[in-house]
Amino acid sequence: MSAAVNRAALLVLAAALLAVPQFLPLLNAGFWTNVVTEILIWSLLATSVNLLFGYVGLLSFGQALYFGFGMYGAALAVTHWNAGFWGGTLAGIVAATLMAVVAGVLAVRLTWHYFAIITVVFSLIFYFAAMSAKPITGGDDGLSFSAPPVFDAFGLKLTLADTVTQYYVVLGLTALCYGLLWLILRSPLGLRFEAVRENDRRARLIGINVYLCRLTAFILAGAVAGLAGALFAFFGRYASASYMFYHVSGEATVWAIVGGVGTLLGPLFGTALLIVFRELVSTVWENYLFAVGALTVLVVMFAPRGLAGLWSDGLAKLSGRSASQPDPQAGAAEAPR
Amino acid sequence: MTAAALETRNLTRRFGGLTAVDDVSMTLASGRLNAIIGPNGAGKTTFFNLVTGELRADAGSVTAHGVALTNLPPHRIVRAGVSRTLQIKSVFGGLTVADNVRAAVMAHEGVMSPFRSILSYGAISRRVADLIAEVGLERYADTKAQTLSYGDVALLELALALANEPKLLLLDEPVCGMGPQETERAVAKIKDVARRTDVVIIEHDMEVVFSIADHILVMAQGAILAEGTPAEISANAKVQETYLGAAEDED
Repeated sequence: MSAAVNRAALLVLAAALLAVPQFLPLLNAGFWTNVVTEILIWSLLATSVNLLFGYVGLLSFGQALYFGFGMYGAALAVTHWNAGFWGGTLAGIVAATLMAVVAGVLAVRLTWHYFAIITVVFSLIFYFAAMSAKPITGGDDGLSFSAPPVFDAFGLKLTLADTVTQYYVVLGLTALCYGLLWLILRSPLGLRFEAVRENDRRARLIGINVYLCRLTAFILAGAVAGLAGALFAFFGRYASASYMFYHVSGEATVWAIVGGVGTLLGPLFGTALLIVFRELVSTVWENYLFAVGALTVLVVMFAPRGLAGLWSDGLAKLSGRSASQPDPQAGAAEAPR
Repeated sequence: MTAAALETRNLTRRFGGLTAVDDVSMTLASGRLNAIIGPNGAGKTTFFNLVTGELRADAGSVTAHGVALTNLPPHRIVRAGVSRTLQIKSVFGGLTVADNVRAAVMAHEGVMSPFRSILSYGAISRRVADLIAEVGLERYADTKAQTLSYGDVALLELALALANEPKLLLLDEPVCGMGPQETERAVAKIKDVARRTDVVIIEHDMEVVFSIADHILVMAQGAILAEGTPAEISANAKVQETYLGAAEDED
């Protein structure tokens, strides 16, 4: 039963996301379309944290580095090489992926706090490097550019200047990314990831090359963060080294954990909850981060598997009540496969 | 004569000032159930860790069925047909029994396609079902491993160790912590497996060791103290003194 409920919920979610630009203006809340766009983009950064922590058991506090490389990859490709939207996005992903290969080769030799520390160190090194390389990166001021059209042929021109077009472009790419990850996580590679997360010693003893497995996940996470960075650069028509700072990484980690790591869509809900919370509360209370902190502590204490865990527990309880037998499919939302 | 199931030459491993495995040379013949016994701290588990590549040897060599294993990484040694279980039973707690075994079979088959569903591999699914049936956990195929009883976890771990069709299986205290019934079930399973695979067990339960082993090797302080059939070992004065006798005195 819960499997059916999850499928229905996913359809409702998809329909709701598709209807956002039509529906929100009816409530006189057109401004929120951009907030949802932002949520979709940032959820990819949270997903990048989730891929590492939720699927191979590595807690990274440095994913903003790959986000930053995605931003600059896109911005520099557009300003210097006249790249279009798609070329710029690709350049962002490639730049972040290459950076992840370099950092990953060293970082995934370590686990736990050593891994967390080295990811922070990497992001700090490149943060300061980007800050001081002002002629290239614009440093603190960043780099502004004008976004090239997304599509310009056959007399049809789609640009990001149109909020609705921009929303659908971001939604499409985000959905594509989640779709690919869904495929990967239910594949033999995904099973290897989970085996490594559950027990790396046993994983080695069944013949898994744990290092290679973690490196693969690290590079994949870098690419996802790179896509997020590229999209965010186009969204703001701007790239700045300040987005490589580790508090951006920390925020993504909080979104992922509040949403529920180890579930594909948990981080999307965590990101949505905390960004909506920020938009609502920050206008009336400037110290709203206190509330975010308190909320995070509450979730970690009382719902350690995050919003996704609450959801699947709730479903299990409901189906337990309707059919006295516990549903063996309970928790399907938790481990999509 | 075929190559020995396990052969070591001058195998040595030191931890700081302590020599845990001290110049051990042994030949364990194929086709019989070998047991290693010895007091705590004798270096038995360290010895297993050296064979499976989880520790690097300071000196010496390891060969299994004529294949050199010395200082290969653990996953390569597994693929060379050497499996082991651990003293503290070790499985993938958050995964179902079926996914535990599936992960092991897929690792053995080298399957790692990133885009096909794990359920779309017919031959692998059949092999997973066979392995689960072999250890008698059919009822729990869709149960998460962390909710199994201790004895069932041990059987699941055995299924994981069998997934690579091992030529040599190392069992580290397979019945440690088990009740009498669980022990009986595990011993029957080990005997069964030993008919087609070379098995080396480390075990403290002397009743179990003397009832199933064809050949016993006694370790003490990182070295081999004695070696022989169960009858020879129980008659060996040196062994009596340092181990078997001492244990009885303590009781």
